[in-house]
Amino acid sequence: MTDVHAPASVNPGAPPQTPPEGGGSATPDSPRRPSGVPQQKNLPLWRWAWRQITSMRTALVLLFLLALGAIPGSIIPQTGNDPAQVQQYFISHPALAPWLSRFGLFDVYGSPWFAAIYLLLFISLVGCVVPRTFRLVGQSRTPPPKAPRFLGRLPHSATYVSPLPPQEAVAAAASVLGGHHFRLRTNVSTGTTPSSPPGKKADAGDKTFWLSAEKGYLREAGNLLFHLSLLGILICVAVGGLFGYKADKLLVEGQSYADTPSALDDFYPGRLATGSDLAPFDITLNNFTATYITSGQNAGQPAAYNANVTYTATSGGAAKTDDLQVNHPLNVDGVKVYLIGHGFAPVFSVTDAQGKVVYDQATPFIPADTSTMLSDGVVKAPNAAPEQLGFMGVFVPTAVEGSGGTLNSAFPAAENPAVSLIGYSGNLGMDSGLPQSVYQMDTTAMTKVAAQPHLMFPGQTWKLPNGLGSITFVGYKQWVSLTATYDPGQGPALAFAALALLGILVSFVVRRRRVFVRAVAADGNRGSILTVGGLARTDASGGFEEEFARLAAELAGTEPTNQSETGA
Amino acid sequence: MGVNETLANVSSDFMIAALLIYSLAVLAFAGDFAFGRPRRAAVAVKQQTRIAELASVGAGPAAGSAVSGGVPADGPRTTAPPPANVLPSRQASLSRAINDAGNWVRVAVALSVLGVTSHLIAVVTRGFAVHRAPWGNMYEFVTALTCVAGIFFVYVMLRYRAWSLGVFVMGAIVITLGLAETVIYTAAGPVVPALQSYWLSIHVTAMTLSTGIFFIAFVLGILYLTTDVYRARVAAGKAEPGNGLLERIPSAAQLDKLTYRTIIFGFPVWTFGVIAGAIWADEAWGHYWSWDPVETWAFITWVLYAAYLHARATGGWRGRRAHYIQIIGFASLAFNILVVQVFITGMHSYAGLG
Ligand code: HEM
Repeated sequence: MTDVHAPASVNPGAPPQTPPEGGGSATPDSPRRPSGVPQQKNLPLWRWAWRQITSMRTALVLLFLLALGAIPGSIIPQTGNDPAQVQQYFISHPALAPWLSRFGLFDVYGSPWFAAIYLLLFISLVGCVVPRTFRLVGQSRTPPPKAPRFLGRLPHSATYVSPLPPQEAVAAAASVLGGHHFRLRTNVSTGTTPSSPPGKKADAGDKTFWLSAEKGYLREAGNLLFHLSLLGILICVAVGGLFGYKADKLLVEGQSYADTPSALDDFYPGRLATGSDLAPFDITLNNFTATYITSGQNAGQPAAYNANVTYTATSGGAAKTDDLQVNHPLNVDGVKVYLIGHGFAPVFSVTDAQGKVVYDQATPFIPADTSTMLSDGVVKAPNAAPEQLGFMGVFVPTAVEGSGGTLNSAFPAAENPAVSLIGYSGNLGMDSGLPQSVYQMDTTAMTKVAAQPHLMFPGQTWKLPNGLGSITFVGYKQWVSLTATYDPGQGPALAFAALALLGILVSFVVRRRRVFVRAVAADGNRGSILTVGGLARTDASGGFEEEFARLAAELAGTEPTNQSETGA
Repeated sequence: MGVNETLANVSSDFMIAALLIYSLAVLAFAGDFAFGRPRRAAVAVKQQTRIAELASVGAGPAAGSAVSGGVPADGPRTTAPPPANVLPSRQASLSRAINDAGNWVRVAVALSVLGVTSHLIAVVTRGFAVHRAPWGNMYEFVTALTCVAGIFFVYVMLRYRAWSLGVFVMGAIVITLGLAETVIYTAAGPVVPALQSYWLSIHVTAMTLSTGIFFIAFVLGILYLTTDVYRARVAAGKAEPGNGLLERIPSAAQLDKLTYRTIIFGFPVWTFGVIAGAIWADEAWGHYWSWDPVETWAFITWVLYAAYLHARATGGWRGRRAHYIQIIGFASLAFNILVVQVFITGMHSYAGLG
């Protein structure tokens, strides 16, 4: 019946195949203008600049700059992530640090130059994507171009013989391709498919009939969806930064806090958020447990953290309890509360020279080494008389003697807790008006009460020399640090990210391709010879070769009797 | 939950076995290069002459295959085995193709499949031994990503009959896995609370998969650049053509296309992995993106691969330059795994070293 020829044997002189696949080396409607000098002499400067900004080359350069610009922020400490380390950097690099600071290198991702890169990139993106969107809409309304004259020169082609006269053979091919949802254009009137404008009918006179079919507009749509979604993500990030907030609070077991700016340790509102935007909940820490692996190679590695809390959403509401864990935040009033850190808070009671209790509370110590939970902190008793008292201390949950008689911790859980204190008396300098951290002590106006640090176990009391008073290590509690965050841009950002992913998958999977058919009458006026040509304008994931082969076989196999079937 | 020591030992044994079998496969692939190919090249030349004859006679013999659906859509590639440096098309049956390729390739392919199977068993049993996804620390991550690379490469090799790439890709896998076993070996154990989340499975799985895939693209890119430079030198008369080595490696255009296909497979997976990571960060740290060093480098990698995809659509940037970009992209990925995660302190408690 039909005979399918390999095109190279039909047309040995065909040029070498350079499949226009992949990155779309032959996508004439991609905005790939030559950059460089203005093409038209009279092009206004701003038009020329706009062209430059929206060119693919610029986008490429800006992408590079974005990658390059992100690097310093991963090497130099950032104020947003670790302000303490930034301070440390200023101390250890006094000459360099101010310069880095001048260029925003301690806050790269909030710096003007980084913003300039991504804003330019997104301006370029808009300038590139919006016209492409209009062009795609236009294309989806216009039929594909006329079939080229020499189909054998296309990257894929095949020839077959049909028993039908040319006009009917092309109509049959049209119904096959139409059945595969190709957009069609032909100079044969098929009734169901749009024919060429009347002027083109002249072609019929030279007895060749042709058909152009195109499919895969979704590929460009997917690409556009991807780029537009990136824009959406950027906007959502900006919204979150402006209207969201982050609030930190350290809570010792038994303590509670209400979510108001004054009760918080740190409050980082977005530029357009204020304290009155805080959600009105309050939280009490009932207890905290950390469990560790006790034996084997991984001994001391944390196994689980659990903070049992009671909270009330919207003041006056019913109290609920929850187990707050890492990876398991608490959702309350549209705010998420996270367990960020934990530590020990030894309980001290201090009596002054006159026998008055001037300090009696749990004092959060900060872990210096999270693997052993060796922690340090200070106890300040400004009400002690006649002299103010202060202590610098180290807390170890599992005391062992280290080399040289130093106090060390062998395990992160409190199996043998102990503190070692250095006592001071004098003036704590707390009424100088300057704010002081509760974790630091200014000893410039103080003198040590004893030369050696004093080691204590729970329940023990240290009677200070010279009748200055005493301090009792009552026991210990644990603390947790909680972070509450609110980010209105987060949900939409996720939605846009999902759309971007969808867009890119569509653009990689769908190929934009055209199939052409031309028919001439066979010798002897019985039947016709048809040439099929195929061209994948984009074929990222490959497979057009196979698809073309299938289509060609289907076209070749079309018989008058099964036309309607294959066309369905 | 403790560690099932028996299974952990089984896993270790299979991992070592995989490493040995891979090494043998590399030897066999190399053997094909050294001893196996000249014969095949000769066969290909003979067949080329046959094609020429066929072409002048007409395409009679091809008609039969048309009915079975395999329309020879692009010329000689479908009607006869191609010259050695063309990746043969898929139409010829796989077993025929392997048979035609000679003993060395037959052995190498069998060893590759065996090695990958052993590797997969090792990864899976490790997962059962520790009751979680077996990519909870750096060592496990590398063993898993090389497993993905192995599986993906075996697929590519069988699909495109790309035996000639075996020595390079399998060689790279052997080196990477060998280094993992010797330098960063970590015994089976549970992970810290920050990693106890089903997002570990989702996020790290995506990252492992895409890293394995990008790994293949990276090796192909290196191969592209070296052979392209060398071919250019040969063409310019500046270098000896060698003993036919270059004829056995797929052409630059085909390596380029294969690389591109590999990367567009990896890119959405990486994108998904970064999104999943952001969701997890939101669960664990309270913000979906905080420019933690590891996040930053994942972002840099993503931007670089996006730049690669753009370069392929930008005049003057296709070919070598695009390959440089994707190689830099993989370098940033490797830097993230080997340097950032190990030496730069951030919130990722992943490496599990030291
Ligand atoms: C935020 C920055 C950008 C990123 C991350 C990005 C990413 C990507 C990716 C991953 C692709 C490949 C996906 C596909 O082929 O559908 C792509 C393709 C494309 N992008 Fe972008 N892009 C960005 C900005 C831009 C800009 C500013 C332009 C215009 C100047 C642009 C124009 C294009 C075009 C025309 C393609 C299609 C290339 C082809 O024909 O294969 N993109 N982009």
